[in-house]
Amino acid sequence: MKRVNGRMAAVLWLGIAVVFLTAVTLFGWRVAESALMTDFSRKNLPPNGAYFFGTDWMGRDMFVRTVTGLSMSIRIGLLSAGVSSVLALFLGILAAIMGKTVDSVITWMIDLVMGIPHILLLILISYACGKGFRGVVVGVALTHWTSLARLIRGEVLQLKEALYVRTAQKLGVSRWEIAWKHMLPHLFPQFLVGLILMFPHAILHEASITFLGFGLSPEQPAIGIILSESMKYLAMGRWWLALFPGLFLVFTVSLFDMGGESLRKLLAPGSTHR
Amino acid sequence: MRNILLAAVLTIPLSAGCGNREVQTEEPGTKESVQPEDSVIVAMGTTSEPESGFDPAYGWGAGEHVHEPLIQSTLTVTTTDLTIAYDLATDMQVSDDGMTWTVTIRDDVKFTDGEALTSEDVVFTYHTVKENSTVNDFTMLKEAVAIDEKTVEFRMEKPYSIWPYSMAVVGIVPEHAYGPDYAEKPIGSGRYIMKQWDKGQQIIFEANPDYYGDEPKMKRVTVLFMDEDAAYAAAMAGQVDLAYTSASYSDQTIDGYQLLAYETVDNRGINLPAAPASSDSDGNPIGNDLTNDVLVRRAINIGIDREEMIANVLNGYGTAAYSVCDKMPWYNDAAQVSYDPEGAAALLDEAGWKMGPAGIRERDGVRAELTILYSSGDSVRQALAADTQNQLKELGIDAVIEGVGWDTAYTRALSQPLMWGWGAHTPMELYNIYHTLDGGTAEYSPYSNPEVDKYMDAALAATDLHTSYDLWKKAQWDGETGFIQDGDIPWIWLCNIDHLYWANENLKVADQKLHPHGHGWSIVNNVDQWEWN
Repeated sequence: MKRVNGRMAAVLWLGIAVVFLTAVTLFGWRVAESALMTDFSRKNLPPNGAYFFGTDWMGRDMFVRTVTGLSMSIRIGLLSAGVSSVLALFLGILAAIMGKTVDSVITWMIDLVMGIPHILLLILISYACGKGFRGVVVGVALTHWTSLARLIRGEVLQLKEALYVRTAQKLGVSRWEIAWKHMLPHLFPQFLVGLILMFPHAILHEASITFLGFGLSPEQPAIGIILSESMKYLAMGRWWLALFPGLFLVFTVSLFDMGGESLRKLLAPGSTHR
Repeated sequence: MRNILLAAVLTIPLSAGCGNREVQTEEPGTKESVQPEDSVIVAMGTTSEPESGFDPAYGWGAGEHVHEPLIQSTLTVTTTDLTIAYDLATDMQVSDDGMTWTVTIRDDVKFTDGEALTSEDVVFTYHTVKENSTVNDFTMLKEAVAIDEKTVEFRMEKPYSIWPYSMAVVGIVPEHAYGPDYAEKPIGSGRYIMKQWDKGQQIIFEANPDYYGDEPKMKRVTVLFMDEDAAYAAAMAGQVDLAYTSASYSDQTIDGYQLLAYETVDNRGINLPAAPASSDSDGNPIGNDLTNDVLVRRAINIGIDREEMIANVLNGYGTAAYSVCDKMPWYNDAAQVSYDPEGAAALLDEAGWKMGPAGIRERDGVRAELTILYSSGDSVRQALAADTQNQLKELGIDAVIEGVGWDTAYTRALSQPLMWGWGAHTPMELYNIYHTLDGGTAEYSPYSNPEVDKYMDAALAATDLHTSYDLWKKAQWDGETGFIQDGDIPWIWLCNIDHLYWANENLKVADQKLHPHGHGWSIVNNVDQWEWN
């Protein structure tokens, strides 16, 4: 049998990650309605054949609730990481090509946002936006762009010295056209990897802010809400309320992480030989 | 970098969640290893710790969660049947026009610093409360005047028959020892002296040796503040003698402890806005076209199975509620209804809401929809809202539930039902909920009935409490109009929540009067009479 090399393993991991995450997202979306359903005739059941993850104190099916919660987390993650990385790309390029003043303003903004603990800023923004779905998405999007922006800015500064860019400059091509035509294709791998590696942050931050009560409303099946509710019942021996949702959150986040790492390996020029 | 961040994010919830447990890992209360026979340790919720200290003018004993102030004496007290008895007062007279209350007080009472309590202190207290209080509305009081050492005259702005109930929540403070630090170092003439307050942890009370009444049997009372799960753990560890708990823990057992359940008037109910949908000058929606129809409101009142709700959500620890003041002397028992789903369906049909596809009623192409709001930190209200939602679905009303913060809840409740909690030891609560304000509607939910207002105004103007009880009852229902099932029914009352406690088997907790709203200090109202077996 042929040995599995690093590249194939990466492809495999990427495949697993994509399939699992897509399945969770779609399934969670489909059963979203029943995740809200309460039925007091089946409350506090431990895990069994009908309810894999048990039920909670209002008789809600924890399996459906967990999957829907993850699905919602993934969707929030996608949306906010997407917005955040586009913001990062735009500001990173802007900082690098628009001259000293713009550069120092943007670098100052990056330092400012990075200087405040993420979770504090996140709570503040989410609260100001009226909490809920919108609050969380805006909050995560506005706090997660900084490191990617810094990375892209550095990359563009490097590219500016590249021979083909300088040639284009000498030929009188405008700054925007250079950025669009000559730099963006070069930046794309970094951008894509940065975007995917931002998901786990976004998801975890969504969970923490909701856990702390500054995110989604408590009847929503969000992972943070499920975990914070379960705290109260641990002393009563209802371990299943915390264990499965917690495990699934870790699993999902790790899959995103691995997917991102695999993609980085695949895109890195030197990796073809591994 | 990424891993550090991941770790940081994961630990934030953990550290936030466990913060309260630190309290109970320290040795709670006293340093003695064996509890003396005459001391008791009580665990209350963290929200019961008085934020602004022990100053009656800033909420100690008064306000939303009334209880006896322990440290201070009051002029009157409420009895077990919620009528009025005397503490400091020895006599109380009201003039025929209801404008003057004359109260004589005991002459043998000393503050714990040795100074005598005189009518001047009473006058000083009431003027301080009138000017400064954030929780007591004393606009009906014009002035208090000391006639002699032991007589005080209260001159009113308007007749206020339930003044004795107001006097029951105002602890008398010493004029000579009242200053900015009073709230932290209170001096009173009550049963206990506040010995020590470790903020965020505990308060220790010791019996007042010079107390004028019966000598307190419990010499030392330690009150700890902890979350529900921590209180449960503390009881399991045997660290507390009495710990508050809730229905979700009621199926547990703790060795050496029994579960005490006390009936309350701590009710939960929803408002049904009785006005057509519109909006106020700020653009906030007001009123609701579905609940504006009195037939719909009546259908909901009889279409809800309160017993099922109590069994499901409260594990049986509750009683059905039909008014905001069940079992109070001013409660009109005509408010009681029985569960009647067919009757409810007939009322909805009569109102034109016909059963449509998917089991949801429709009228003129509009679906019967409601959003039931609840305060987002309260799991019992959330479960009650969810159960109401399920029961409304059976009636053909499509309800969703939504958790809201108190910053927006009051405004949103003007157009949608909110899961409220009320219940006080004064009929004034009826006034606050149902009486029309200057704006043309009641304060918390759109509703107005001039007949009801008239009865309540007359009740306040009555010169004798018993006459006023009758008028309060008539405001609820006079045979033709009112706010019960056959009347306007702008609020649906669901249940009174029993207050539950884990108590050491050997602790004899004295009989309780019906607890008001607020699962906190009420339990220790008579801690001086508790005993150990």
